[in-house]
Amino acid sequence: MSDKPIQGEKRVFMTGNEVVAYAALAARAEIMYGYPITPQNEIMHYWTRMAPKYNREFLQTEDELSAGFTTLGGVLAGKKAFTATAGPGNTLMQEPLSMAEAMRLPSVVVVQQRGGPSTATVIYSQQEVTLTTLGGNGEGLRVVYSTSTHQELFDYTIKAFNTAWKYKFPTFVLGDGYQAKMRESLTMYDPGEKGIELIPAEAYLGKPGTPGVDRPPAHYRNTYNVEEELYEVLQGHFKDYEKMAPEVTEYESFGVEDSTLVVVSHGVVARAAKEAVRELREAGVKVGYFRPITLRPLPEKQLREAAARAGRFLVMESAQGQLGRLLKEAIFGAPVEMIPFYKPGVGITSEEVVDKVKATI
Amino acid sequence: MSKAVKIILAGEGGQGVQSVAEIIAEAANEQGREALYIPNFGVEQRGGVSVAYLQIGDQPIGAPKFQTGDIVVALSDRAVHRTRQYVGPDTVFVYDSGIEGVEDAIPTNAKKVLPIPAIKVAKEELHPRVFNIIIMGAVIKATGVVPEDRAKEAIEKKLGYKFEKNPELRELNFKAIDRGAELVAGTL
Repeated sequence: MSDKPIQGEKRVFMTGNEVVAYAALAARAEIMYGYPITPQNEIMHYWTRMAPKYNREFLQTEDELSAGFTTLGGVLAGKKAFTATAGPGNTLMQEPLSMAEAMRLPSVVVVQQRGGPSTATVIYSQQEVTLTTLGGNGEGLRVVYSTSTHQELFDYTIKAFNTAWKYKFPTFVLGDGYQAKMRESLTMYDPGEKGIELIPAEAYLGKPGTPGVDRPPAHYRNTYNVEEELYEVLQGHFKDYEKMAPEVTEYESFGVEDSTLVVVSHGVVARAAKEAVRELREAGVKVGYFRPITLRPLPEKQLREAAARAGRFLVMESAQGQLGRLLKEAIFGAPVEMIPFYKPGVGITSEEVVDKVKATI
Repeated sequence: MSKAVKIILAGEGGQGVQSVAEIIAEAANEQGREALYIPNFGVEQRGGVSVAYLQIGDQPIGAPKFQTGDIVVALSDRAVHRTRQYVGPDTVFVYDSGIEGVEDAIPTNAKKVLPIPAIKVAKEELHPRVFNIIIMGAVIKATGVVPEDRAKEAIEKKLGYKFEKNPELRELNFKAIDRGAELVAGTL
């Protein structure tokens, strides 16, 4: 039985859900826990089809609460575990993922956003940004990668496992229904052959030696009796998170230096923005492009610099200002005008970006 | 930088528009070109108009959906109504000439409106089951996104296992490509 699902580099043409399943295999994920919900179902379908061939496992649970908690169980047992969800499933998933923040469990969650609130549409949106970055009764101690192409879905799903196991914060890959269902080309690869070192999982419990003598005791808690103790533990988490932030933060930008307007977008909308800004710049229009890849933590420094240079942000998203709100917090006090272009639950085309930029500039 | 060709295919469920879009996209990808295909999807299991959005070019494709198609193909009366919104001054609008009662809905702002007798040809000359392959022939001829032999290779790849059992099916499908292409040849 082959251990490597992908040998060498391979150009493929498939849906985003299939890409995620392959990427999880390539990242040596050992088990997926899941509960079906559109538009991410096929992640499960492809995983369950391929997993037995590579000695990987799958457990379907009774709902997303359980899928989230069993994922944490897998992690505690030292397995590279992940789950995938969307919409109302993502809402339920926040309770276990909040525990992952509390206990520093490197769980990986792939989200394919659908319309909201509630059941809404099974199709598409960018309305799970607030939930995915700051959901749960906590402080948002997590990493969120917002992908925009199938290549990135592959790359960042692999990366998510490494980020999670390196820093011990829950890590999300935030896609959407369009990315889930569309087909386009990408190059798949075995991470090892590309020089990407996969960080191995290790068991949290049942380590050898005497606790307190040979090793520190395995003391993982999500409950505290005393306020001050919780406060102190959280300070440690915040410190770790702050130290991690500059190491994991990613963004993409061009044309910011000479522009008086910068289009800021993320995920699949950034495809439209990128195409439109390129086209406009070729026609001599001075407009820039900025796309945070990590929505949490945000590339605050670079956003502030872009804001100071350009003076105006055109914020485009398939939500009613969820990215906008994150940006406002990140660059509070920066001398920048934020012009909203919000289309909750609906796609944004490059034609619309071109029209809006022309009307604004 | 040449822009991607944007194609909309719309019809009733079962008319096979999604299969056609997928086969063309795969043929383009096999050729080393950039392709992006996305179906519309929702909670309905039946009853909706099926729309396929397809883009083929030589640069990475931008947004998965778009406002105006270079070619918009409507295969039912409801599809004509549904796809009017994707028609602009540079659009070739193709519809089946057998669709009745849509005279008032045919877009008037298209570069060209092209009625083709695909349903009739399928029924009378070939077989109703290759109706969508006739449409595929027409689309690739009208857009030039992939050569006909590449399209045939892609069909072979997709349906080869059926052709093994019944070689006549292969001939039927390849004829459908040719006939589809003939329907639009010289009209553009």
